Amino acid sequence: MSTSRAGKTELKRIDLYSSENPDPSHLDGVQEYLAALFPTVELEIRPCLLKSTKSDTIDSLAGMLASARMRNPSLRVQDFVPMYGEVEYEKRTIRGSSTVGGVVYDASKVAAAAEPLVKNHGSLETASLIFTDRLVSTYSDDDMRHHLRTVVCGFPSVVSIPGICEAPARPREYYFAKRQLEAESAGDLALVVLKQAFRDEFIDYGDPRTAEVLKGLSLQGVMFHLSLEPFCGDSRCRLFNAHWQKDLIASQIVSGRLCDKHERIVKKLSKKPVLSW
Amino acid sequence: MPIFEKSSERSVTRAIISEFAKDMEKFSDTDVIIIGGGPSGLVAARDLALKGVKVLIVERNNYLGGGFWIGGFLMNTITVRAPAQKLLDEIGVKYKQFEKGLYITPGPLACSKLIAAACEAGVSVLNMTSFDDIVLRENNRVGGAVINWTPVALLPRQISCVDPVALESKIVIDATGHDATVVKKLEERGLIKTPGFGAMWIEKSEDAVVEHSGFAHPGLIVIGMAVSTTYGLPRMGPTFGSMLLSGRKGAQVAYEHLKGGKD
Repeated sequence: MSTSRAGKTELKRIDLYSSENPDPSHLDGVQEYLAALFPTVELEIRPCLLKSTKSDTIDSLAGMLASARMRNPSLRVQDFVPMYGEVEYEKRTIRGSSTVGGVVYDASKVAAAAEPLVKNHGSLETASLIFTDRLVSTYSDDDMRHHLRTVVCGFPSVVSIPGICEAPARPREYYFAKRQLEAESAGDLALVVLKQAFRDEFIDYGDPRTAEVLKGLSLQGVMFHLSLEPFCGDSRCRLFNAHWQKDLIASQIVSGRLCDKHERIVKKLSKKPVLSW
Repeated sequence: MPIFEKSSERSVTRAIISEFAKDMEKFSDTDVIIIGGGPSGLVAARDLALKGVKVLIVERNNYLGGGFWIGGFLMNTITVRAPAQKLLDEIGVKYKQFEKGLYITPGPLACSKLIAAACEAGVSVLNMTSFDDIVLRENNRVGGAVINWTPVALLPRQISCVDPVALESKIVIDATGHDATVVKKLEERGLIKTPGFGAMWIEKSEDAVVEHSGFAHPGLIVIGMAVSTTYGLPRMGPTFGSMLLSGRKGAQVAYEHLKGGKD
């Protein structure tokens, strides 16, 4: 018996889950962008899934998030008992009394923690995009190590907002200079000066271009839901999976468009967004 | 006519011994012991002392202040990001704005003022004293510190042969910098397993140090660079601003706990 849903299941909703400390302009822009591409689909911006005031949820979610920390970039599987302090930290982030940042999480474990909390989870008529202020990584078999990611496609997909700044690599010269400063124990001031020298070449925290980049990353998540093919090889297409900041800026900001092939595909889907797998 | 009043060697010796003995008796059971007298430890100590909490700093060196005397590359300009400059305001340190949100001040000025502010708030200090071990209580809660003279701790055991002494406290704060000496002692005993430093290059670690400042184990709060070591946070990002605010956060957590509130 065929398990294919091709042509049978139609996407009816896209739920955009806010990040822990959302910038309202980010998801408003994404909603507007996706609504224009998929006019038949209902879009809703929903509250952050990784925050709660219910004690049961806090305890279970904190344990899962603490266990989701990526401790060793060289190990695919990382099963460990989290420290007391790690669990307590996650409880604070879930309650909203601590902000997230500076920690890398295994994206698949974050998605697994959030998945039961997703509205309509299990229904393919709803695509769920979870925006987060956490850094997420996935393991790559190519070089056998974890890599930071901007978007990790799945059911649900996870979009890391700080990943936009940290995941695609900055110019090599930036890292050489930064490593030199690190070796010299140079402080904050030196890093500020270094960043100024490279400011046009990467997207940094608080960069207003972040909102525009998020539109393309969100579309990648939706395309995965519809076709399991979220990416495009054309570096001028918004579906390009950028590994370098210059490519991210080129595809999402300079071009800001889909390639001809994906333009056609999305146009067709805009009339009837059915799953093709 | 002599400048100074007459006194004897005997009186000087008695004054030193009697005062120190009185202090040691007081220290044997205190509210909070802070291991490490760098910027985070000093801020935590001052904040707690200002609220009436009995605080003792154990510092292995002769001097307090840790790395706060000098900035990067042995240059003694200290940089702090907003809002940490507000703490400099509180202790009367003058500074200049380098660019929006980034302030600079001479290390010797900031450090000496912070030490003075902590001492004036009523913080007690045992310097030239090294942390040797932890005191454990029910369910492996940390309940104090075992200490010894730094010169003794530096000598080989077969020469020194001086047993340490134990001090009890409701809370111990690890402010020992990258070494995270107290946390490492828990790890030696198999009570905690730290992740070690991650190899990924990420920059947003200044906030992370502050946000992770708090209980790492029942009875043990971790602040300052020891937070980076304990949780495997990136080494590069943290700055003096995060050290100061981490100390403040640790003091808040400790105070709430002592009041009978949450961890």
